Amino acid sequence: MRVRSAVVLGLGLAVAAIPARADEEIERALAAIRSVTREGQGNESAGPAWKTLVSKGSAALLPTLAAMSDDNPTVANWLRTAVQSIAAAERDAGRKLPAGELEAFAKDTKFAGVARRLAYELLVSQDPGAAARLLPGFLNDKNLDLRRDAIAYELDVLEKAARPSLKADLERLFAASRDRDQVELLARKLTENGGTANVSEHFGFVTFVSLVGPFDGPDRSRFETPYPPETALDTSGTFVGKDGARLRWQAAGTTDRMGNFDLNKLLGPYKDAVAYALSVIVADEETPCEVRVSSATSVKIFLNQKELFGRDEYHHGVTFDGNVGRGTLKKGENVVVLKVCQNNQREEWAQRWQFQMRLCDATGAALPVRQKVLLAGRPQLVKLGFIPESAPNPQEKK
Amino acid sequence: MRALATICLVLVLAGVAPAADWPQFRGPNASGVSPESGLPTVWGKDAGIRWRAELPGRGPGSPVVVGTRVYVTCSSGPRDDRLHVLCFDSATGRQLWHRQLQATGSTAAHPKSSMAANTPVADDTGVYALFGTGDLAAFDPDGTLRWYRSLVGDYPTITNQVGMAASPVLAAGRLIVPMDNAGESFLAALDPKYGKNLWKADRPREINWTTPLVRTRGDRTEVLFAAPSGLTAFDALTGQKVWTFKGGAASIPTGTVDGEALYLPVGGVSKFRLEANGVAEKPEWQAKDLQTGYPSPLVYAGKVFAVSSQGFVACAEAKTGKLLYKERLKGAYSGSPVAADGKVYCMNEQGLCTVLDATADTFEPLAENALGEPTLATPAIANRMIFVRTDKSLVAIGK
Repeated sequence: MRVRSAVVLGLGLAVAAIPARADEEIERALAAIRSVTREGQGNESAGPAWKTLVSKGSAALLPTLAAMSDDNPTVANWLRTAVQSIAAAERDAGRKLPAGELEAFAKDTKFAGVARRLAYELLVSQDPGAAARLLPGFLNDKNLDLRRDAIAYELDVLEKAARPSLKADLERLFAASRDRDQVELLARKLTENGGTANVSEHFGFVTFVSLVGPFDGPDRSRFETPYPPETALDTSGTFVGKDGARLRWQAAGTTDRMGNFDLNKLLGPYKDAVAYALSVIVADEETPCEVRVSSATSVKIFLNQKELFGRDEYHHGVTFDGNVGRGTLKKGENVVVLKVCQNNQREEWAQRWQFQMRLCDATGAALPVRQKVLLAGRPQLVKLGFIPESAPNPQEKK
Repeated sequence: MRALATICLVLVLAGVAPAADWPQFRGPNASGVSPESGLPTVWGKDAGIRWRAELPGRGPGSPVVVGTRVYVTCSSGPRDDRLHVLCFDSATGRQLWHRQLQATGSTAAHPKSSMAANTPVADDTGVYALFGTGDLAAFDPDGTLRWYRSLVGDYPTITNQVGMAASPVLAAGRLIVPMDNAGESFLAALDPKYGKNLWKADRPREINWTTPLVRTRGDRTEVLFAAPSGLTAFDALTGQKVWTFKGGAASIPTGTVDGEALYLPVGGVSKFRLEANGVAEKPEWQAKDLQTGYPSPLVYAGKVFAVSSQGFVACAEAKTGKLLYKERLKGAYSGSPVAADGKVYCMNEQGLCTVLDATADTFEPLAENALGEPTLATPAIANRMIFVRTDKSLVAIGK
């Protein structure tokens, strides 16, 4: 009896100890992968750690998902493939994934968006009905893939049901939308159904700026050359520009609902040139922001004299939000300066000199800040994206 | 010994060539040529197809084949930011594994392209998948992640908003990664085991889609890398520039090394003699009628074949450059022609493949085969089959 008790006790201790050891191994493996840094530093340990995680099977599934971070995409990709391998092995073995835990994980916003999305995909691959159950809850999700699918799902439901509240529902979806194609689709549907959709305000475009240029930029060093307006805090300066021209800041606005400023029209079709656009943004409180710029040519983005971002590339297409500078607006007035360069390519397709700029949060939603503009000779504060109803077309050189 | 000789004789008599891999863009050393035989001449949408496997996304990148494994990459999603690496059994089309990555670099590209424009490279130890986003991953043959790197995470100014497409290659035990772009531009050699840089050579800041060629001379392996500013040879072991050739400028099609001859898609196609420390300044010949474009030229059966993006096929003698014929094919072309078994396969963007008799000195189409699915990729040849990746599927053509 004593022997039997000892065996039972020993067995119990052993069984109890297995998860603990497994947990420790999983934690060590996750730590090794999280230690990966640039240029493959840490890969020697991460490779074996990846195998350890996968060998633990479903026990490692949720811990691995939980270890993913939106701020470290390199590590997230290491872990993503481990999760996929675990899930595939479970499916191959005829075992179900832990649906309840995956669903809870996908809903829990304290976890990384990329991990929640992955959990959602695993869940839906096993239970397609989960999409209808979960997607409505993701309409305002920080993860843009979940949000996008939620909008598409709700729109589909709306159109099939033909609800009396269609217009209000479309307004709700429009407000939630972030991807350009969905924004434009919903704006069109809203208009068709008697509503209004202000795309410019929705994206938060800067629609009024002060411009100065062209400065002479005879070679590629123009991108790195700090012309005086780069550190401007106001529009009071005068400068020597191309061919010795005396340059002053001049007010410019756009009536384009996509916020485009055409520098060829506003300043002239200069080559080997640099121009600056300055916008004063007023925030009621300290606000994290993304300054997103689209341009066919090289740009640098400055916020309160600090460089946030630069891309030195010419005429390889214009990507919406292709340039993103991340910073923080201080309470009160902030000065955003955009440098837009032009090279000397002569091909017909290489003549664009323009920009589009907006201020938004990390999901792409327009910030609740105001731009300081001069209207009818008076300084005023207006929303981002604001276009006066009676505005003349300012896209012409005076 | 006698038994072995008997087996070899039987194989020869049966016309069975040993299976040859197609490990990278345009197969062995980017030649576009396979030693395989017994390849199909005629097929259709539903005829002569051994298997067809659905793919989760698009990609102009080609499949590669090592042993019984076919690897292919795709990209998908509304932002084209979901990156896929898949492995299939070449005999059955059974998907052996599928891994996904989230893009860490820009997904900007010409609408025709996608983030899976680069062709992966594989060997017996696994597959190396480079994407247009600068994401680079090495997987063992069973799908185990050996290592992963975000090149844009490492070098944040990397940028090419037309989209990247140059493919990695293996040379002298190194993974050669071409990353010519408008930002931090480089050619790097990585340790295949851990993915760390062994060397990293600065490159001109210009966009470029050519894939490096490899030649071995004595005990030195050279990586020949063409770009708009010229052709540069790097020592594969050290990354040292060995020689440069300003006349070797190209940015989309990739040339071909055939022994001591280098065929470059410049001025049509030009044939240069490779010397100990460079390229003879003057070409042996230059054939302006051999127009390329997106497709790369092909050297096969003593001839040079060039297919232009607009769909002209031109053929010249490899020895003299004398034009044998120039004819119009149907449709537009992105994928390069490939050859084996006495045939040249020219696959257009709509999946229509014109099969040419490579041995004929005149234009002799043997068949026109419609696959019925658009494709921008160069086909792969291995295991007596032709593997075509379309916008929707991976198709194995053959018995």
